[in-house]
Amino acid sequence: MKSSLSLLIAIVVVSTELFAAEAGMPQLDPTYWASQAFWLILVFTILYISISKFYLPKIKENLDNRESKIKEDLESANKFKEQSEAKAKEYDFILESAKKEVSKIHFESKSILDKDIQSKKEAMEKEIEKEILKAQKEISELKKNSISSIQSISGGIVSNIIENISGDKLNESSIKAAVEDISKKKINKYL
Amino acid sequence: MASNPMQQFTVHRIGPEIKIAGVDLSFTNASLFMVISATVIILFLFLGSKEKKIIPNKLQLIAEMFYTFVAKMISDTAGSKAKPYFPFIFSLFMFVLFCNMVGMLPYSFTVTSHIIVTLIMALFIFIAVTIIGFIKHGFKYLSIFVPSGVPAVLLPLITIIEIISYLSRPVSLSVRLFANMMAGHTMLKVFGGFVVSLGILGGWLPLSFSVALTGLEILVAFLQAYVFAILTCIYLNDALNLHH
Repeated sequence: MKSSLSLLIAIVVVSTELFAAEAGMPQLDPTYWASQAFWLILVFTILYISISKFYLPKIKENLDNRESKIKEDLESANKFKEQSEAKAKEYDFILESAKKEVSKIHFESKSILDKDIQSKKEAMEKEIEKEILKAQKEISELKKNSISSIQSISGGIVSNIIENISGDKLNESSIKAAVEDISKKKINKYL
Repeated sequence: MASNPMQQFTVHRIGPEIKIAGVDLSFTNASLFMVISATVIILFLFLGSKEKKIIPNKLQLIAEMFYTFVAKMISDTAGSKAKPYFPFIFSLFMFVLFCNMVGMLPYSFTVTSHIIVTLIMALFIFIAVTIIGFIKHGFKYLSIFVPSGVPAVLLPLITIIEIISYLSRPVSLSVRLFANMMAGHTMLKVFGGFVVSLGILGGWLPLSFSVALTGLEILVAFLQAYVFAILTCIYLNDALNLHH
């Protein structure tokens, strides 16, 4: 690297030495210095004015526009995010209250139903009891009736049996008394 | 004559001779290439700022990149106080850069390879910066030559060195750009000449050198424009913000 660099420098030095006598450095020839200075100042002034008056403000405006646009977009995105979060909260709240209401309605309707069922059940039970009582009365009446008829039938049967066996008639009232006596003893078994 | 590597730097008159008060202000090839560079810059900036798109096209993007590049360079080196000088530094950077780049085209003329051109720019910057310094700080600006925290024994010596370094700013600024441009273009010409003289058999080596040097020169063209602009920013920073 170093040797190649020194070679380069040597070449440059040699060639400039060779041609220096012929032309020298044209930069040091003052013939056109004034012209160069004049044109430099003129061109650079025009360039400076057009850049500072037209192009830099334009580019700056572009950059600022982009920056403000990005900022705006970010801000509106944030706003929308906040809005959506608020909406989500609202939604959650509504959902929660709806759930509460549902459970309340559920509870209320359940209690109403329960009451209804209870009252109906009670009425039914009362009716059933009544029916049972009525039936029992009927049964007991039937039983009482049946006792007297059974007594008279059994009295008849007894007198028939005695007649058939002994051939004479027994006093009906005594038979009846005997049957009553027996039935009274046994009646408690059936009533 | 074509093989003389310095011949590319000669200035010659184009068109009629213009003499004002005995001074020759004729339009020359140097003037022509100044005009070409400025026209290219204006055309580029015109096309780059014509459409105001939120999503830029390529030219607009490049123009905006130049803008942000120079704006960042100024704010990094000279701070927010240097904002009013942004158009000047932007123009300066663009002008030097485009003159250097246009000079890279074959058969063109490199405006910045002339000491008179770079010296005028450097002197203008030097004088303007000095005036700005005196306007902003009055005679306190002279404290730039007296660094703080220096032993009293060394102070006169340091002050003299500071003054010399301050006064040599325009020289170093102009010679840096001019010498870089001249050396690069001379070297390219020399290697080009070797390609021709060594012919088809031996010309390949200098040709490959020439290709590599062209790449290097494009880098140098950009770098020198950047250095020129950033040194201007640093000088401006010294004038705007007194650190001593």
